[in-house]
This record gives sequence, C-alpha cells and structure tokens, in this order.
Amino acid sequence: MMDTRVTVKTQDGVEGMDANNATEAAPVFRTRDLAVYYGDFRAVRDVDIEIRGQDITAFIGPSGCGKSTVLRCFDRMNDLIPSARVEGTVEYHGIDLYGKDVDAVEVRRRVGMVFQKPNPFPKSIYDNLAFGPRLNGIKKKAELDEIVESSLKRAALWDEVKDRLKASAMGLSGGQQQRLCIARCIAVKPDVILMDEPCSALDPIATARIEDLMQEIKQDFTIIIVTHNMQQAARVSDRTAFFTTEVNPESDRRTGVLVEFDDTQKIFSNPGDDRTEAYVTGRFG
Amino acid sequence: MEETRKLFHKDLSEVHQELVRVAAGIVESIPRCTTILLEQDLTGAETMILADDDVDRRTHELEQRCIQILALQAPVASDLRQVVAALKMCAELERSADLVVNICKAARRIYGHDFDPRLRGLVVKMSEQARQLFSEATSSYATGDAARAAAIDDMDAFLDDLQRQFIQAVLESHSAGRIDLQVAIQLAVVARFYERLGDHAVNIGEKVRFEITGWLPEHSGADRFRQRRTEGTTSHPAGGESS
Repeated sequence: MMDTRVTVKTQDGVEGMDANNATEAAPVFRTRDLAVYYGDFRAVRDVDIEIRGQDITAFIGPSGCGKSTVLRCFDRMNDLIPSARVEGTVEYHGIDLYGKDVDAVEVRRRVGMVFQKPNPFPKSIYDNLAFGPRLNGIKKKAELDEIVESSLKRAALWDEVKDRLKASAMGLSGGQQQRLCIARCIAVKPDVILMDEPCSALDPIATARIEDLMQEIKQDFTIIIVTHNMQQAARVSDRTAFFTTEVNPESDRRTGVLVEFDDTQKIFSNPGDDRTEAYVTGRFG
Repeated sequence: MEETRKLFHKDLSEVHQELVRVAAGIVESIPRCTTILLEQDLTGAETMILADDDVDRRTHELEQRCIQILALQAPVASDLRQVVAALKMCAELERSADLVVNICKAARRIYGHDFDPRLRGLVVKMSEQARQLFSEATSSYATGDAARAAAIDDMDAFLDDLQRQFIQAVLESHSAGRIDLQVAIQLAVVARFYERLGDHAVNIGEKVRFEITGWLPEHSGADRFRQRRTEGTTSHPAGGESS
C-alpha cells in the first residue's frame, strides 16, 4: 500500500495529515473562487470544484476554456510561468496548496504529471525510472531494481522492455514512451496523477492501452485527465467537468469558466446545463 | 462557434420525421379498420393486411439506421436519447400496426354475422378512444412535448373501462342468443386489440418523456420490488401485480 501521508512544512515545523484517515467524503482537491491570470489576461475564473480520491476525473471543453490551466494549478506548474498569477484557494487534503510555506517541489512529488507529448529523459529506460527515486535518496540497487520493475509492471510495459532496460528510452515507440512516462510518475509513488492530453499524440491501439492502464491504477491514484477527445472522457472517467469560454463584452477577451461537474454517465446521457448539451452533441449556440 | 456534425443531426431528424409519418399512418388506420369491421368490407381488410408489410419494411429500415448511427456516430446526451427512443418506438409502431391487421383478420372471421347496435356503438367508441390516444402520442413525439406525453397514461383508463363494458355487453348479447359463441369470442378479442393499441400509445408517450427529459418508466414498480426484497417478502416474484 502506498504512503499517502501528506506533510507540509510550516514555519513551526511539520504539519501532517494522514490522507488514509481522512473521511471518505473529504476531497483530494478543493478549489474556491479559483482564477488564473497571465499578466492582466484572466484565463479562467470562478472555478469551484472538488476532486474525489480514487476517481478518474476528466476535464473537457473547447480550446481556451482553461481546463489545462486549472489542471496546472494542482501541481503548481503555473508557478513556472513568470506572468501567471493564481487567485482564490486550492486545497489539497484540506491544506492550502498556495500557502506561503508550501514547498512546490514537494507538491510535485505528490502530484505527478503526464504531458501530451511523451517526454522521456535521454537516458536508459532504467535510469528514467530510477531518476525520481534516486532524487528522493534511494541508493540501494536492489531497492531501485524493485521500484523499476514494479513501476514498469504497473504501467503494463515490463514485458516489452524487461530485456533492454539499459537501452535508451528514446528508442521506444510513442505509446511505449508515454507508458514509460506514466511508469516514471508511478515510481515516486505520487498521490495524484495529472494527465494533460496524454493520448493525443498516440495511435488508437496505444491510446486504448493507456486507457486500460488508467483503469488498472485508479485504485491507488487519483487521476485527473484533460482531453479533447470526448469519447475518451466518456470511456475512462467517473466524473466529468465541462469548461467553456465566455466573452467579456468590455474587453472582448475570452475567459474560461466551469459550466458543469457531474458523474460522467450524467454528462453524456442527460447533462444539466444547455451549454454542456450543446458541446457534447456538437450543437453550439 | 457554429454547429458541428450537421449531417449527423440531419440524419437524426430524418429518423424522427419518418417515425412521425409511420405513426401518423397508424393513427389513420385505426378508424379505417373499424369501418372494415363494422361494414364487413373484405376487400378493405385484404388491402390493410397487405399494407402492414410496408410498415414492417419502414420500421425495419429505421432500426437499421438507428443501429448504424449508434455504431458510427457514438451519439451522446439528447442525441443518444433520441436514438434509443427511436429504436424502442420502432418496436411499438410495428406491433401497433399488427394489432390493426388483427382487427381486419377478425373482420374476416365474423363475416356474415351481424351484431347488435349497442355492441357496434361500443366498438366505435373504443376505436375513437384508441385513435385519440395514438394521435396524442404521435403529436407529442412530433413536437417533443413531454407534458402532453405524460397525460396519455391517464387517458388510457377510459379505454380500459370501455373494454370492460364491451366484454360485459358481449356476454349479455351472447346469453340473450343475439350472437353465437364464435362471434362473441372474436369480438372479445377485438376489444383486446383496441385496448392494446391504447397501451402502445402509452408506451410511446413514455419514450417521448425519456427522449426529452431522460425519465425512465417503471421506476415505481422497480422501487417496489427493491423495497420488498429488502424486507424479504419477495416469495412470489411472478405473482405480483404489474403496473
């Protein structure tokens, strides 16, 4: 069983909260009045969302609706963009993720991310997997071997690469590279895996394998996936959030808003909001 | 942003329109089969029986089209409900057209036998009520009117009542020696056909409600079953009253 104990350094020392002991209803993430600005451009506003643990949550919506921007708030990736500014609150197991004493690197250790384009390090398959654990101070070869093997097995890649662990990860196919990135993510035992369009560069079979993989690992990880492929959201997710863009009549600029967040089955069979209905059926107003 | 998937939506609306046309045809055929029954019109009966093959063809084609849409377009939300409702509508319409044919076949079986004005009057009433129910169902489907569709269930009670009156009258007529047993049985069966037409109209109304609102029928029955199962009283699952 993975360690989901969350610790956040504070001025007074270490404040802890055991996610395993949290009540079932306690969300992994909770945002309130979340807004993200790039300079003076407001990319997304008024996002109130609760992400439950052990669920796969999908973010869907047209380009520019803010779904990736919101996703990037969950591991503080927006910090890396100098002009980006986050307003409102993002809580992770009840702790303010943007609190001034929270270490962004520690956040990213608990909240992993898989990107649209597979991005293996130009190293061997083994070293890709061992990279994170080594950073975390694991040095024993036997221990690293075990992590590499178990992570590759979890990512359904072990059988394909077990005989060439020393070979460069760059030699793998796109689908294999993406599963390697997921395995690399799993290797540091995160609590959450964020996926930003993880299959859009992959063929349908590689996509299906990633989708199967998501189902297999969802027991142990909270997964949030941004996808342009609505059928993918319908196939893999338990909950779906639909974002859209609203035009500000004064500035004529578009801002993303969260329209509806509900069970995926509801979103795709009988959505509550007309804008969701129009988007999923392809009928725009 | 503008509408996408235009061809797909056009396809959906064509399925809808064709279903309305088939349903409207059945609405018209109800008084026609009644006239055939009352006037003992053998040629008319023959024509109606042959015409049913066309309804079969059209509903069959519609079903195939719906399956194709499901396979190729992966419809969701209201589009999905529309296709699912259409598939179920096909079955209702096909069966309803068969009932109209059955009335024509009964007309052939009682050819040459007369029956009294009271029975004739009740046949006309049942026919008119069945037509009205079917017409309401068709209109509510054509216009997507869920409230109107929901009202059909209540209207059906009147047809059920007429059927009971008619059976009673058939029994009395037979006891009084005005009609023989063969005719009495045929008339009782005919009454059942009208009553079933009403039931199919109610079912169509339910499909309309599902299509528009996502509401599924038989919730109450399913809830009662679950309740009984929790209470451990489902010893006679087949013996319960259906709703």
